[in-house]
Amino acid sequence: MTERAEVMLIAVAAAMAGIGVGIVTYADDGTITIDAFAALAAHLAAFWGLLAAIRRWAPDASRLLLAPVALITALGAIEVFRIDPDLGRLQRWWLLLGAVIAMAVLALLANRGLEVLRRYRYLFLAGALGLLLLPLLPSGWPLGGATINGSRLWVRLHLGDRSLSFQPGEGAKVLLVVFLASYLADTWRGLAAMPRSLGPLRLPEPRQLLPVLIAFGVSLMVLAYQRDLGASLLLFVVFMLMLFVATARPTYLVAGGLLAVGGAFGAMSAFDHVALRVSAWLHPFSDFAGSGYQVAQGMFALSYAGVFGSGIGNGAPYLIPAAATDYIYVAIVEEMGLATGLAMLAAYALVVSVGFGIAVRAADRFRSLLAAGLTITLAVQTLLIVGGVTRLLPLTGITLPFASYGGSSLLANMTIVALLARVSHEERS
Amino acid sequence: MKNVLRPVAFTLLGLIGLSAVWLTGIQATAGSDYRDDPRNVRAAQAPADSSRGRILTADGVVVAEDGPDGERIYPEGARYAHIVGYDAAAGRTGIELTRYAAMRSRDDGSITAWLLSSMGADLGPPDVHLTIVDAVQKAAVAGLGSQTGAVVAIDPRTGAVLAYVSTPGFDPNDVVGGSFDPTDDASQNALIDRVADRLLPPGSTFKVIVSAAALVAGITPDTAFDDATEYVPPDGIAIHNAGDDDCITGSTLTLTDALVVSCNVVFARLAVDTGARAIVSAAEQAWFNHPLPWETGAAKSSIPTAASFEADPAALAQSGLGERDVRATPLLMALIASALGDDGVAMKPFVVDSVVAPDGEAIEVTSPETLTRMFPSAVVEDLLAMMTQVVERGTGRSGAVQGITVAGKTGTAEGAGGPHAWFIAVAPVENPTIAVAVLVEGGGAGGSVAAPIAARVMEAWLNFES
Repeated sequence: MTERAEVMLIAVAAAMAGIGVGIVTYADDGTITIDAFAALAAHLAAFWGLLAAIRRWAPDASRLLLAPVALITALGAIEVFRIDPDLGRLQRWWLLLGAVIAMAVLALLANRGLEVLRRYRYLFLAGALGLLLLPLLPSGWPLGGATINGSRLWVRLHLGDRSLSFQPGEGAKVLLVVFLASYLADTWRGLAAMPRSLGPLRLPEPRQLLPVLIAFGVSLMVLAYQRDLGASLLLFVVFMLMLFVATARPTYLVAGGLLAVGGAFGAMSAFDHVALRVSAWLHPFSDFAGSGYQVAQGMFALSYAGVFGSGIGNGAPYLIPAAATDYIYVAIVEEMGLATGLAMLAAYALVVSVGFGIAVRAADRFRSLLAAGLTITLAVQTLLIVGGVTRLLPLTGITLPFASYGGSSLLANMTIVALLARVSHEERS
Repeated sequence: MKNVLRPVAFTLLGLIGLSAVWLTGIQATAGSDYRDDPRNVRAAQAPADSSRGRILTADGVVVAEDGPDGERIYPEGARYAHIVGYDAAAGRTGIELTRYAAMRSRDDGSITAWLLSSMGADLGPPDVHLTIVDAVQKAAVAGLGSQTGAVVAIDPRTGAVLAYVSTPGFDPNDVVGGSFDPTDDASQNALIDRVADRLLPPGSTFKVIVSAAALVAGITPDTAFDDATEYVPPDGIAIHNAGDDDCITGSTLTLTDALVVSCNVVFARLAVDTGARAIVSAAEQAWFNHPLPWETGAAKSSIPTAASFEADPAALAQSGLGERDVRATPLLMALIASALGDDGVAMKPFVVDSVVAPDGEAIEVTSPETLTRMFPSAVVEDLLAMMTQVVERGTGRSGAVQGITVAGKTGTAEGAGGPHAWFIAVAPVENPTIAVAVLVEGGGAGGSVAAPIAARVMEAWLNFES
């Protein structure tokens, strides 16, 4: 793909955002407000800016990455604005900030390359754990935790009488992948050795399973203290897949799978909120007014979608609790139809394919693991929430990458794009 | 490690593909269930156009339409009250409920609607066309008159319902106008749909099922039985004939003759001798104990289990006469008659022929479906021949229709307010086009009360057809 094509595709995605927001304002009161132009400008600025930064600081990077991301972001921005214009306006600032942070990451890595991430890996680990623990701070403090919708995964920064909420877990997930990539790149030989055998089965030393248990413990803590099923599952699955990729030993997948199944049943009996999620998944209509309400409303919204949807501004996605965040995918499908829903999945599939392509061609084991880990994170997060809102899986509250409303999520995912671009750039150097 | 990257990548991409298939599947299959769920408030707010289409009979009579102020009006009044139902402030029933969404404008402002209308489709409110023939319906209403009961007629070839009447009725216009309150206790008797929801002992019409079981077991129409004056089942009390006498001569009579005169002593013994398992299995094959799929919902006709009959032969003997704990709806009895007219196969009954857009495009057309095989092909001919005799020279003589051969069976079931009169029939026997079930509650003997109504209905249908 030529650079010109990439510039044009980003322009098309930005135009879609502008036109979509314009349709929402027109459907609302018959006029096209400044918001349409602001959406167009914000998307052009964010993605053309990021493109320029990639050309300057990572010129050999794949050119297939930005266009699908811009498309997903545009569709998400339209629907977030349609559900709540105030959130939509805020989301534009988050998009711009995310692009700036991604550019900053590219600039910082420009001279010394990704090696610098390896050197400070324990700093990243400490940072990740710190971020995961932040929400547990008392909520009265200037920087304190907050419980929203029953989950304590938010941190609220009080600035005078205003406050800003964010989910530090989103940042932690990126830092953890960076740490794991560099840790596993150095220790994979020890972990891959299978010195013991039980009949035909080759088994690792018991102490080799320690990292698995630590990851399981951290996931369980997230589940128990923050009551966040989605993040807990995401962390664990990403860790297990990275361990498997690093060692090529299915033993770890089996051990992780057994732990996950055991953990799932244990969690169902130990934590009410997990059992509720499962019963809401299996029988959303048996407790329609209670735990099944959100899932049931999601299915109602999907039933009014059809191939082309009800039309932007013509549906009722606001009836679903958390429509702009967890349920953004259903809201998009309701109003823009099955066609758009499938197109979005295709865009995610493209991003994931490109990400794995970068991992396969990466210069060394660390860079390969980094690209694979970041891509796995995006893919698993997308699968968990898309499967959750369509009742393929139990619903785990987690954002849809690039589409859901949410500053922390957008910043973290834009950083992932920057890191993937950098790995891609370094494959030839 | 790069060789494991590929399987991981393909697995994750495959799962994204699975999500796409799943989402498409939701749209293709489950979508309509969730769409019609009353808790889905989108239906209430969707189309700006609140007008609804008309409901018409097969011979073009409008039975429901929008009035000038958007209220529903029912030009035929009470005649279609139970099947068409009403759409009023008090709620919706009947086809007005089941086809409510289908009769609304399809222009919901969506892109799909815009595409359709720009391709020339008329998205105005579609009409519902019924299979009911008003001429037949009129005959059924006139036949029942002021009596309490039900008449249902079915085309055996397709399962299309030709008449559907329950009395006493009510005028749906009064429900719309507010002078008839469907929540009032006094209204309940008129609201009952006696065709599909009334479960009563089918009386001697059930002897058709007993005969079928006996024929399957090897008895023939010419098998001779003792013409005794009573039968005492094991551990039971004696069963007598209608006049406490023998049925014909006091010596012997054939199975055909026993059906022709509806001989209780012979059938009570036959039920016990054929055995609980065979009787219950024949009844269940004829869809007793099975939920009957029906546009507006139907009660389940029932018969006790074989095990309970084995423990209580007296109950089996009485059940062989369609009494005791056997319960049937007129709808099922008509379906049983219709199966005899279709080589033993019952078609799934339906009343909505099609949903048609204002420009004539058929949006939905009901295609006939087989419900089940109720009788083995081998016994159908014998049963029809025996039932033909019932109408020619037996209890069902007043069910005869000039110029054609009718096969029928009368029933007179015990009821608290006098015996319930039943008659089921199928005609013309050579090439059946109509099956009828008539129930008159507390009306008296099936032969004299119910059979003439059936004859009237069949006559109306044959006149309409020719």
